Amino acid sequence: MSAAQPHSAAPAVVSAHGVVKRYGRTVALAGLDAEVGGGITGLLGSNGAGKTTFLSLVLGLRSRDDGELVVLGRDPAATGIDVRARIGYAPEHHDLPAELTAADFVRHLTELHLLPPRAAVQRANDALWLVGLGEERFRHVGSMSTGQRQRVKLAAAIAHDPELVLLDEPTDGLDPVQRAEMLDLIRRIGSEFGMHIVVSSHHLEEVERICDAVVIVEGGVVVQAGTLADLRRGPEGLVVEVDERAEELAALLARRGLDVTVEGGVLLLAAGDGGHDAVRDAVAELGVGLRRLAPRGRTLEDVYLGTEA
Amino acid sequence: MSSQQEARLFGLGYRRYDGPRRRPAWAILTLAVFTLRRVLGLGRGGRHKVLPALTLVIAYAPALVSVGFAALLEDLPVDDLITYGEYMFFIGSALALFAALVAPEALCPDRRSGMLGLYLAGPLDRDRYLAAKGAAVLAAMLAITLGPLLFMLAAFVVAGYGPSAGETPGLLLRILAVGGTAALGYAAVSLAVASFTTRRAAAAVGVVLVLFVPVIAARSAVESAGAPAELDLLSFPFLVSELSYRIFDEFHSEGQPIEELSSWVVAAGLAAWTAAGALACWLRYRRIEAHR
Repeated sequence: MSAAQPHSAAPAVVSAHGVVKRYGRTVALAGLDAEVGGGITGLLGSNGAGKTTFLSLVLGLRSRDDGELVVLGRDPAATGIDVRARIGYAPEHHDLPAELTAADFVRHLTELHLLPPRAAVQRANDALWLVGLGEERFRHVGSMSTGQRQRVKLAAAIAHDPELVLLDEPTDGLDPVQRAEMLDLIRRIGSEFGMHIVVSSHHLEEVERICDAVVIVEGGVVVQAGTLADLRRGPEGLVVEVDERAEELAALLARRGLDVTVEGGVLLLAAGDGGHDAVRDAVAELGVGLRRLAPRGRTLEDVYLGTEA
Repeated sequence: MSSQQEARLFGLGYRRYDGPRRRPAWAILTLAVFTLRRVLGLGRGGRHKVLPALTLVIAYAPALVSVGFAALLEDLPVDDLITYGEYMFFIGSALALFAALVAPEALCPDRRSGMLGLYLAGPLDRDRYLAAKGAAVLAAMLAITLGPLLFMLAAFVVAGYGPSAGETPGLLLRILAVGGTAALGYAAVSLAVASFTTRRAAAAVGVVLVLFVPVIAARSAVESAGAPAELDLLSFPFLVSELSYRIFDEFHSEGQPIEELSSWVVAAGLAAWTAAGALACWLRYRRIEAHR
């Protein structure tokens, strides 16, 4: 599978070629190729697909066994500290130091990312206000809900103004309202402040909602990658679903000169302009119920499952 | 008009940062200071201050009492004052308690709460992380190994019981040597034990056991069963107090088996404990899974 191309003219934020990582006999990454460009990129994959291993290699926390990996122009295995100073990271787990206030926690991590103490205090407060915890910033993290902790982690990840933000399952444990708010927040951070963001998730609809590009990892390799617009683009034509007599409808449309195939009761038309009218007339003539008449294309779920409508 | 020209906006909200950034080595200092404040209970609730304060009181009590007597009783014989050499023996319990308290507090919560992963995802690697933690624990230990001796020296000099001006630099060097080696040794041993568990209580018990079980076993074997004196090298607290006596030329063990051992052997034994502790901790952290 070809790697994703950077979706901007700017150099790739993360560039991986043939990256291999083994844990004993287990191959976690089996020659992974990926180019992550600017904007917001979704890192999709099932559990055990290799997402977390890939993130740990991007952070330089583990060394790869083979291949090339460049993050923000540098090899994280060789210059991990310099690379990590420019990255913000929010882990999947919610176990944060319970005794610290949100402000102290974010300030400490901001200072640790090399900002002077006074700037760290200011930036921590600003980041907490941005994520909606301004009034709660002096509460102990241990007394906060899962949703609030997710926001604290996001604030800690962005307070030092990183170039790249890695968010591991940022909506895990959130209710639908909180989830929507978190996604809006991530989208805003990416668009308004120009940070490059990689969101690791297994929620397709979330990735589809906020991401500019997607990298799908399965079995330690990238199986699909590219901008959302490119991935969802399918062949020209229409897809038609009817209640019954799909074969008859297909035959009727074929007699009228349309290129029709039937797959699992669904008609796929390679029709251009005029296809809608032809379908309308044929359905009316046969008197069957029309369930779906839509342009051919793919949802992210289709892409993920390797299907196309 | 001038007030309008000088007006500035504060609180603009979150925005990009274009101010100065420090060098990566600052991350070590940041973490070390944060850890030191944490283990001493600074900036935390009252219950977190009790044990560190109690230990500091125990460690400084002999010095305070001795200096107090020296100040109040003008004709007090110098021999009645506590000596520098025997100080480590007197505060042995405080040293063990502090070692059992400090290193577990420095290391265990980070692994338990997932902070270790966050630290290592920043401008720190495992070696720098351990350097910061080790520096914090060492600084805390120095507060009770070096602090009381320096306090005694200053107070005795002021009270007229101190060394002459010519002897002071030499005595100061000996104090630094004793305080430094004791702090290094206790820090290394306690860090090693704390690196094997995420629970502070378990680590504290482990530190006490590692410090005192060999003392009891080795001392009993040497004194009662006639085992070779080298067995005393397994007794870490005993080595600390023994080296302290010898550095201050206060030989007290006439006729005891330990007298057979040269000061270099005692020093080497202490160095071996320190190196083994540091190595065990370092090796342990090379294997710990930190990224979740």
